[in-house]
Amino acid sequence: MSVKNISITPGWEKYMTKEYLDLVERGPYGKQKKVSEMGSFKEVLEEHPMCAGCAMTLFIRLTMVGLPNPEHTILIGTAGCGRLALTQTSIPFIYGNYGDTNAVASGLKRGLEVRFKDQAKDVVVMAGDGGLADIGFSAVMHSWFRKERFTTIMLDNEVYGNTGGQESGMTERGALLKMAPKGKMFEKMDMIGLAQTAGVAYIARLTPTNPTRVASVVRKAVLIAREVGPTFIQAYTSCNIEYAIPTPKVLDDARDIEAKRYGFMEIISDEAKAYLDSIDTAKKAKK
Amino acid sequence: MYLVAHIDQAICSETACRLCTQYCPEANTILYDNAAKTAFVAVDRCKGCEICVGICDDLAKHHAIKMIMITDLESPFELSKEGFRPEKWDGNHP
Ligand SMILES: Cc1ncc(C[n+]2csc(CCOP(=O)(O)OP(=O)(O)O)c2C)c(N)n1
Ligand code: SF4
Ligand code: SF4
Ligand code: SF4
Repeated sequence: MSVKNISITPGWEKYMTKEYLDLVERGPYGKQKKVSEMGSFKEVLEEHPMCAGCAMTLFIRLTMVGLPNPEHTILIGTAGCGRLALTQTSIPFIYGNYGDTNAVASGLKRGLEVRFKDQAKDVVVMAGDGGLADIGFSAVMHSWFRKERFTTIMLDNEVYGNTGGQESGMTERGALLKMAPKGKMFEKMDMIGLAQTAGVAYIARLTPTNPTRVASVVRKAVLIAREVGPTFIQAYTSCNIEYAIPTPKVLDDARDIEAKRYGFMEIISDEAKAYLDSIDTAKKAKK
Repeated sequence: MYLVAHIDQAICSETACRLCTQYCPEANTILYDNAAKTAFVAVDRCKGCEICVGICDDLAKHHAIKMIMITDLESPFELSKEGFRPEKWDGNHP
């Protein structure tokens, strides 16, 4: 592991932006940063145009802190709100067509394994509930059944936020939205259950109410995907615009939804558990 | 004009719990001054959502953050101008 990938060719420093110089000198590379250190290191995420107080923004920010090797990670996203921030990180980002993310990630990960035999490259898909559970559903399911080794993170705001409030498969039954004026007529899809059926190695459901937990779940998911098999994180990341949540109340809403129906949940296969334990043992032995 | 978050350093530095920065949705917006043991806000990045106010009031129970008019800040800290240079932070935040 090294910062070579991002370091500047000597002599070219003066042409680089302040933000980039800060990133090379004070970024999170080479050593996993802790959530408690936030505010004291330069984050890989820059300014972006997502709405004020958006829980999805917070979740993305925390995800970037959780990545075990940001310098060897590639993000895949698609149409939807999240990519507005994901494109403003210092991590390579591939814009899959809406619905294609998990097909693109499958090919990319396989190619990287051939090309970089001695260096693990992490592939992380981050997209909305519409992108993954509706139009991307088939590619998501097949990538899981094929045991493709990458992480899928669903930014579940339970609506199509970017296009003005259509219901998605992940919207709760009865939810009233601008473009679901009679209320959604069907149940929320059980993506956690589907991931279990498909044999996903690590599955987690959570909200951004506990920042340390978000980073730790992301780290586990990425590490397990590296060695064991597909991993899936389903995160409640409310859309304060479409659900009319006043921004100072965004975290109250997350706590409330978490208590009612979106509690923290982790499902881990025996193989994945053994792999995590082996990492911990190796870490302790080093100390 | 618009409101931005402002941290009272005297109150914050009593504990400097660092909770607000973990919950601010924007990256590198609530920064941490190690020398003065206080959090402070890069106002050019603050989107005025007030999430940090709730965190400091209800979770940390310190009441150090208030929303104020950006024009009422005498010498606002702007990350785009100053860069991320913790070694230069010395407690002189507005
Ligand atoms: C093939 C295709 N169909 C439709 C669209 C239009 N489109 C852009 S974003 C979006 C909805 C995004 O919803 P979701 O994936 O839930 O993400 P969110 O914006 O809520 O984060 C749609 C339908 C598109 N870009 N491509
Ligand atoms: S529309 Fe909703 S999900 Fe999209 S950035 Fe705004 S608040 Fe976030
Ligand atoms: S939550 Fe309040 S006391 Fe804690 S670091 Fe932030 S401003 Fe200071
Ligand atoms: S008001 Fe919102 S954007 Fe501004 S510092 Fe507080 S949490 Fe961050």
